Amino acid sequence: MLLDGLKNTAIIAVFGLFIGLIIGSLIAVVKLAPIENLFFKALKFLGDIYVALFRGTPIVVQLLLTHYVLFPLMGINIPPVFEGVITFGMNSGAYISEIMRSGILSVDKGQMEAGRSLGLSYVQTMWKIVLPQAIKNILPTLGNEFIALIKETSVVSFITVIDIYKAFQSIANNTFEYIVPYLMLALVYLILVIIITLIVRAIERRLRASDKR
Amino acid sequence: MINVDNIYKQFGKLQVLKGVSCKIEKGEKVVVIGPSGSGKSTFLRCMNLLEEPTFGEVWLDDKLMTRPDPYLHVELIEKTKTYKKMFDARAGESSDAEALKSQIIKEIKEKDLLNEKREGGEYKKAYKEFYKANAIDINKGRAKMGMVFQHFNLFNNLTVMQNLTLAPVKLKLKTEEEAAADAERLLKRIGLFDKKDVYPSTLSGGQKQRIAIVRALAMDPEVMLFDEPTSALDPEMVGEVLELMKDLAKEGMTMVVVTHEMGFAREVASRILFMDEGVIKEENTPKEFFAAPKDERLKDFLAKVL
Ligand SMILES: Nc1ncnc2c1ncn2[C@@H]1O[C@H](COP(=O)(O)OP(=O)(O)O)[C@@H](O)[C@H]1O
Ligand SMILES: [Mg+2]
Repeated sequence: MLLDGLKNTAIIAVFGLFIGLIIGSLIAVVKLAPIENLFFKALKFLGDIYVALFRGTPIVVQLLLTHYVLFPLMGINIPPVFEGVITFGMNSGAYISEIMRSGILSVDKGQMEAGRSLGLSYVQTMWKIVLPQAIKNILPTLGNEFIALIKETSVVSFITVIDIYKAFQSIANNTFEYIVPYLMLALVYLILVIIITLIVRAIERRLRASDKR
Repeated sequence: MINVDNIYKQFGKLQVLKGVSCKIEKGEKVVVIGPSGSGKSTFLRCMNLLEEPTFGEVWLDDKLMTRPDPYLHVELIEKTKTYKKMFDARAGESSDAEALKSQIIKEIKEKDLLNEKREGGEYKKAYKEFYKANAIDINKGRAKMGMVFQHFNLFNNLTVMQNLTLAPVKLKLKTEEEAAADAERLLKRIGLFDKKDVYPSTLSGGQKQRIAIVRALAMDPEVMLFDEPTSALDPEMVGEVLELMKDLAKEGMTMVVVTHEMGFAREVASRILFMDEGVIKEENTPKEFFAAPKDERLKDFLAKVL
């Protein structure tokens, strides 16, 4: 059960972050696109609403709505873990879109101009030149986002997912021994966070090394 | 090769270009000088549509880069509702239809009377046809025009080699092997082949700018646009960049150069434009330009910089 819990926590955090990155990048790129036609105005508006909705409500509420209202209404029946992945992915997408936006804005606009002046399209330049630099700039912030995400995943127990928190909780409840399991739980989160921090640092160091070579 | 036809550019309320026209023939070296803030960069950036002119057209080899400007085409104005209304209302005034027509067209242009949304279906159709017949895909147009910036703008996340090969390969102008071979040749030419695998942050300003120039050359452009390519360089590096530009000029490259380097202008230019307050105030061969400037503002300017 402990291993299952750990697995579920990891699945939700990692895939959630992955989905969040995709959604966040898309929203940020659309919002910053220098295209003023009606279609893009509508897209930008939808992006604003999306971000407002997901940032304006607690993640627990979003989970409960997904699990008990939205998916049943749409007739979607998937394991709760994946509901967790989707909800966390969409939620972090809203936060990441704002992080990504500031990351893109932090890249010198001469980079985009140089790409466009060579005949590359907006999307090509964004993808090959601007986004890689933006992601490098926001990597520490993204690391923090991931850490926050891992810790927040504990609320998936509300929709019956056994994550690492739930696993330790049931150990505590079954053995009437609270101190050790909950200390262990804290320790596991701490170790996860330290591992992530180390990974983020390593990636940063590698990116920086490629600068100086 | 490039035909800039009566362009205007507004940023909000600020009128930066106020009717600039300029024809650039193949092989010409046009140098643009003028005080800062006079619109030189904007003029250059309008040529490859990094800025979109508010009015006017830019043509590249008989292909339209901008959207059509109806004010420049009598045959388009004639199809507008505005024109037809004015013509009908005043048809009784004069017996000379031709004279009336040119009078009305003149008024429409001067008073900026057209409103695209309200000019009717016949006009819209003609406009679309004109556009279809003449327009070039903007990215295709830009691929034929190299641009060199004051601040180099090398791609920071790519190596020198990747800087040179990215666009030609992505745009399918060359295979990866061809692009790499051309890039090697270009880097050898400027003596920076040993830097092919480093990132731009490790290079000096002069090296960056020379690589930016060959990055543009790697696209085999028809024309090169330079926006103050030496203004951000330490003095000791200006020479190496100007030398490379002079070599290009000798090889017959068509060039438009915004610069404060009067020596370069004198030596290389086939024509010099003096830009001031959003218009071209004077235009001449280098000899005449420096020996016998006519415009007062140009005389002041030359007195300051020479
Ligand atoms: N993107 C922009 N938005 C607003 N104003 C601009 C922009 N680009 C240029 N300008 C203004 O247009 C004027 C001319 O600028 P520029 O063409 O760069 O002049 P120059 O290159 O001759 O120094 C300046 O007053 C500048 O502030
Ligand atoms: Mg300038």
